[in-house]
Amino acid sequence: MPFNGKSGKFNASINTVEIGCGEKAIKIGGENVLPFYTFDAAIENAPKVGVMISDLGLDNEPAGVKAYYEGCTTIAEVAKKAAEMPGADFVCLKLEGADPNGENKSVEECIEAVKAVVDAIDVPLVIAGCKHVEKDNELLNKAAEAAQGKNVLILAAKEENYKGVAAAAGLAYGQKVGAESAVDINLAKQLNVLISKMGVAQNNIVMNVGSAAVGYGFEYVVSTMDRTKAAALGQGDKDVQMPIITPVADDAWNVKEAMASEADMPAWGSQEARGIGMEVSTAASVLASGSNAVILKHPTSVATISKMIKDLM
Amino acid sequence: MTLFDRVFGGNDAVYGLTEAAIDNAIAQYGVDQAVAFPHTAYSLPCYYGVTGTKVSNLGELKEALGVVKTLMTREKRLNDAFMSGVATALCAEFIEVLKYINGATPYEEPCYGHLADATIRELGVPLVTGDIPGVAVVLGKAPTTEDAVALIKSYQAQGILVTLVGEIIDQLAEGGMTTGANVRVIPLGKDVTSVIHVVSVAVRAALIFGNVTPGDAGNLMKYTFERVPAFVNAFAPLNDVIVACGAGAIALGFPVVTNETENIFRVPKSLIVQEDVSKFNATSLEARDIKIKIAKIDIPVAFASAFEGEIIRRGDMQVEFDGSRKDCFELVRTRELTEIEDHKFTLIGPDFDAMEVGSKQQIAYIVEVAGKAMQSDFEPVLERKFHTYINCIEGAMHTGQRDMIRIRLSKNTYEAGFRAKDLAEVLYANIKNEFDVVVDKCAVTIITDEAECSKLRQELAVAAYNARDERLDSLTDEAVPVYYSCTMCQAFSPSHVCVVTPERLGLCGAVSWLDAKATKELNPEGPCQIITKERCIDENLGRYEDVDEAVAKFSNGALEHVTLYSIMEDPMTSCGCFECIYGIEPFSNGVAIANREYAGLTPLGMTFGELASMTGGGVQTPGFMGHGKHFIASKKFMKAEGGVERIVWMPKDLKDQVAEKLNKTAQELYGIENFTDMIGDETIATDPETLLAFLTEKGHPALGLEPMM
Repeated sequence: MPFNGKSGKFNASINTVEIGCGEKAIKIGGENVLPFYTFDAAIENAPKVGVMISDLGLDNEPAGVKAYYEGCTTIAEVAKKAAEMPGADFVCLKLEGADPNGENKSVEECIEAVKAVVDAIDVPLVIAGCKHVEKDNELLNKAAEAAQGKNVLILAAKEENYKGVAAAAGLAYGQKVGAESAVDINLAKQLNVLISKMGVAQNNIVMNVGSAAVGYGFEYVVSTMDRTKAAALGQGDKDVQMPIITPVADDAWNVKEAMASEADMPAWGSQEARGIGMEVSTAASVLASGSNAVILKHPTSVATISKMIKDLM
Repeated sequence: MTLFDRVFGGNDAVYGLTEAAIDNAIAQYGVDQAVAFPHTAYSLPCYYGVTGTKVSNLGELKEALGVVKTLMTREKRLNDAFMSGVATALCAEFIEVLKYINGATPYEEPCYGHLADATIRELGVPLVTGDIPGVAVVLGKAPTTEDAVALIKSYQAQGILVTLVGEIIDQLAEGGMTTGANVRVIPLGKDVTSVIHVVSVAVRAALIFGNVTPGDAGNLMKYTFERVPAFVNAFAPLNDVIVACGAGAIALGFPVVTNETENIFRVPKSLIVQEDVSKFNATSLEARDIKIKIAKIDIPVAFASAFEGEIIRRGDMQVEFDGSRKDCFELVRTRELTEIEDHKFTLIGPDFDAMEVGSKQQIAYIVEVAGKAMQSDFEPVLERKFHTYINCIEGAMHTGQRDMIRIRLSKNTYEAGFRAKDLAEVLYANIKNEFDVVVDKCAVTIITDEAECSKLRQELAVAAYNARDERLDSLTDEAVPVYYSCTMCQAFSPSHVCVVTPERLGLCGAVSWLDAKATKELNPEGPCQIITKERCIDENLGRYEDVDEAVAKFSNGALEHVTLYSIMEDPMTSCGCFECIYGIEPFSNGVAIANREYAGLTPLGMTFGELASMTGGGVQTPGFMGHGKHFIASKKFMKAEGGVERIVWMPKDLKDQVAEKLNKTAQELYGIENFTDMIGDETIATDPETLLAFLTEKGHPALGLEPMM
């Protein structure tokens, strides 16, 4: 009996969300098949790769990252250079300096950085907070205001501060809202519902369903993304049909494989190569599990992952 | 004169003024003269919001006045009064916009007049998040300067945004109060027409935050009614113009509270007469359904979960309230909204000062709650939280529940000044904060008088507990209209769904049907959702189309069929947090139960842990199922296979815990007395042969039943 291939495309699809404006705007989502299943149906919008830059500068970055940005002295110059990185589709400005448990920069100071970056680049921008829910509530509100008209994605509204962040980003200033939950499909869905109920249109929401570096409880991440896509496509559950963005750089570069020095672990080889390895393998895994965009920081990782996406599409 | 006459009269007067003002302006500047409010993209926001038309010059303004006229119908129906109110508001907007002709700045410090779009966006976010719980529009002249200052300060303390119109602005200045957007007190202007600038805020909020299409007046008013928690306080005397403006406010969903008694007509929830100005705040908040979060509980000691496990030793104890020796109780009572005064505290009997150090005393606290969404079924859910609340007080210890409580207070806490009113404050603040969805008003009564405690314990508390128990007993799967799902543990057991029914609580033992119902009410998007039970397929198995659909949905397709009453056919799944597991014991046609605390071997040849490893994880394992302890005595316990008479073995401790109820169930279902005497335990047998011999000797009913496999 001859083999008859059956298309695995679904009747439902992931929402398409546009970030940025002008020619360089990007669209994520829109597919009605499992990740990279282009043989089932065409995937209109390939997954996108973003470059993370931090308001804390380059001091703590690995040599390869420092080398890439060599000569850049201001955040605007760094942003410009990040936007030009081969393989990059967008830039993610992370305002980690705002963290009250760290540098505790004032909101005004952070907003200066936002304005500088907004003016410096024409690629789409993602603005990420410092993960401190109260500070982010205020900070992301002001960031959304400062980036008015640029259609940026604000990361992220969480269960504890979604009202303030989503109201500012999604309603007052017309930006895209990132909804962040911690590796649990029900929490992800609940947050989407709550944000939608505030009046934010569903196609203005992008999810970060939580992540980890590969090997660090990563099976939970895979299972959550799998189930989210299965519910969105297989069951047509509108409350989880938002595309997924996954910040990878933070997780990947903060595990011992990336942090242990060569002096401590001579058998492990080059520290930077290990970090790139963690970043690339985590990014490839979350993309294969359903992420529609990843945020990375090392030029080698960005080049590798964008080539992988190109080759698979 | 009727209310209609006043509204229509006021509307006509304002319309006349507006028409004259526009005509004058046209005569002076010509029809092409531009008119606009500064710093807004919404033209004349109110007119634009209601009609969808932008007005840019005097000629268009005149045309717009014609449109306003069409709203001014004069039939004596409520809708005509509301529309005339809206017309009055629009006229006010026209009068105000004329003040801004040629870039004029008609308002001076401290008055704001028109507010820019940027301000709306800034204020809108805290309004949406509830950080600004309400918007007060205060209009006119308060009876005295002190009244004015007291009222505004009371709103300020609650975080409410206050806008001021008319003479109250001068009164506050006289009282030395600072005003301004930064302190959330915004004087708009002295003319009554300046009230439109706050209406403009509400309208633009609907356009910006509600995505309301300009011109969609129906949705605009729906948005302002549902989402803009504004209300009006209008001081006497009220002239017809203010009454007409008030009708406009009511049309937008904003109740008007006034101390005017002459020629006024009370409309429930909308036009409220409150002669006592000091009660404007409470009356307004109740009318607009605004709830204020209590940020810090005002007591002399700390309140935090860190103190929850604190033990108060006898030597450190100032006083002990001991329910085993004295008449004590704790009780939540549902009352009507009109029956209680919010935040009222009553003490019957002496305060803690009058109690001898180290003595045993009686105490009773009755927490009365009222709310539109409150149901008496939630009383035990609220009451069960008292244990946590009181334990979180530094230097307080609480054990037990109902009329078997024991509370100890430490000497340090007493010396810090902790008294009965502070205990009441803890209960009040926590109930209001945690249960704000269902509790609108709460009052606490503490009783320390011995005779009163004894009397109320019998007459009130025990009667209430009995009534609740009867309600619980009468709650059967057949008697309720819906069941609930519970997916609380899906984080680690992704495909597991509990179907919680009155006779089968969640397998963790922690979520009863009433808990699930309350969870749904308090957290509508949360883990407990309604499962209908309208399409029964097989009553004996407990198979419903609705249940299957719900399980498929909540397990994201992992499960398709679940029965409520069978362990063999599509049994309910288990997550991993079950209190007990029961499994088939094939020699006797029965089932053996193991609870989590039991570490030994069961006659099934497995320990609890081994049983758990094959039962958990959200998979269906026919012949094995996790469940809560209370389920053992349920009439629905494996009902499809015959019910509790299948139970042949369980650990002795567990048997002792469930004996009374299980015996009662067996008696009612099969007429068997002392059924638990027939059930084996680890002191009798942990191997199937010895167990079978024991069961045969006792004549256990399971031996005569059909085999399950």
